[in-house]
Amino acid sequence: MPPDCGAPSSKRTKKITKHMSVNQQSLDPDSTTDVEVVTDTEEELIKECEEMWKEMEECQNKLSLIGTETLTDSNAQISLLIMQVKCLTAELSQWQKETPEIAPLNDDVLVTLGKEEFQKLQHDLEMVLSTIQSKNEKLKEDLKREQQWLDEQQQIMESLNVLHSELKNQVVTFSESRIFTELKTKLLNVKKYKKKLLITLGEFLEDHFPLPDGSVKKKKKSIQESTAQLITLHEILETLINRLFDVPHDPYVKISDSFWPPYIELLLRNGIALRHPEDPTQIRLEAFHQ
Amino acid sequence: MSVLRPLDKLPGLNTATVLLVGADDALLQRLADSMLKTDCASELRVHLARSLPLPSNVNRPRVDLLVFVINLHSKYSLQSVEKSLHHVDASFFLGKACFLATGAGRENLCSVHRNTIVRLARTYRSPVLFCDLEVEGSRAAMAQRLARMLQISAGHVPGVSAMSLLSLLRSSESPSLEDL
Repeated sequence: MPPDCGAPSSKRTKKITKHMSVNQQSLDPDSTTDVEVVTDTEEELIKECEEMWKEMEECQNKLSLIGTETLTDSNAQISLLIMQVKCLTAELSQWQKETPEIAPLNDDVLVTLGKEEFQKLQHDLEMVLSTIQSKNEKLKEDLKREQQWLDEQQQIMESLNVLHSELKNQVVTFSESRIFTELKTKLLNVKKYKKKLLITLGEFLEDHFPLPDGSVKKKKKSIQESTAQLITLHEILETLINRLFDVPHDPYVKISDSFWPPYIELLLRNGIALRHPEDPTQIRLEAFHQ
Repeated sequence: MSVLRPLDKLPGLNTATVLLVGADDALLQRLADSMLKTDCASELRVHLARSLPLPSNVNRPRVDLLVFVINLHSKYSLQSVEKSLHHVDASFFLGKACFLATGAGRENLCSVHRNTIVRLARTYRSPVLFCDLEVEGSRAAMAQRLARMLQISAGHVPGVSAMSLLSLLRSSESPSLEDL
């Protein structure tokens, strides 16, 4: 199995010896015992590195004896899966067997390691701080935007509420019987109005368009010998109106002798009645309602 | 014809080497520059190749991570990668190889469907990464990711081996009908 753990510890020991040589220079050059101790640790570390390197070379020699194997698309999946299973089980057993090696624990080594750890920690924390700060800013902006939106929505709701209450006052509760009563009253009113109109019309016609009885001159009396009883203008109009509404497709009324001719002339001249286009003896009421 | 092997030489001290294989030289060059710009604790070395097998007369360090770069806009890059796959030792696919597909964003220029790459990666049980190497931001982020993966597969990160990274990168997908 590739000794992956060899490479990092060799890297770390190199770093430690570099740091230690820096520390060595700051030491008092007169105290030889300290220098010896430091050099001893350095030598120890270098010795360990050399041993690890030798182990790696042995492993490398073993590895070079293993043959190569290339894959084709068809057998790639299965053979790789088998290889990966073997690799993972081997790694697992290696982890379970192995006890972690500790670097020699003297003060210098610990101090250097500690400094390294703290520097890494500081760097990571700074990164975390800047990320969180920028996230914070964004959240503040989002909050402001959402707050604005909320205010607008609330304003809209208030105005809608006002509108709603106004409309509610206008709405009258629906009740069938009340509508029925309303319609009945309307109908009654209309009927009353109609009656009033007819009465007024009758009175008006009586006042201003009476039947000729005593007022006609004696001369004309012989010419106007009417066999039938003359009917009032009111009655003529009634006949015309009834005919118009009873038989709308043929609203013509034959001019009978009971119609006083001057009144017929009056109606025709004022556009209240119309002659039949083909038959001069028939008249109809003008359709004022259409 | 030599086959590329993962552990054929002793590693250099504190160095990690990545080999980018792809048909598009410009993209590879840009990715290599971005990777060298990332600040990393180990010394990074980036080698570029258009296809495998590599010429055997050059003395090069051992390759810790193999990245196959496929441009979704050209079928030729997919074909050249597929041909190169046959010259790679099987033990590379235990976490030391990955596929990188670029250009998935511009659908109208894609002549290779992203599912083809996904299926290819699934056949070789390796992770597939998507990015747009033409865009500066995406390229920088991908370069950082690759640098981290490289550190792990070179063994510079204690406690995480290439194989464990592979298990962690496995996307939880239900097996397709063809796999069943």
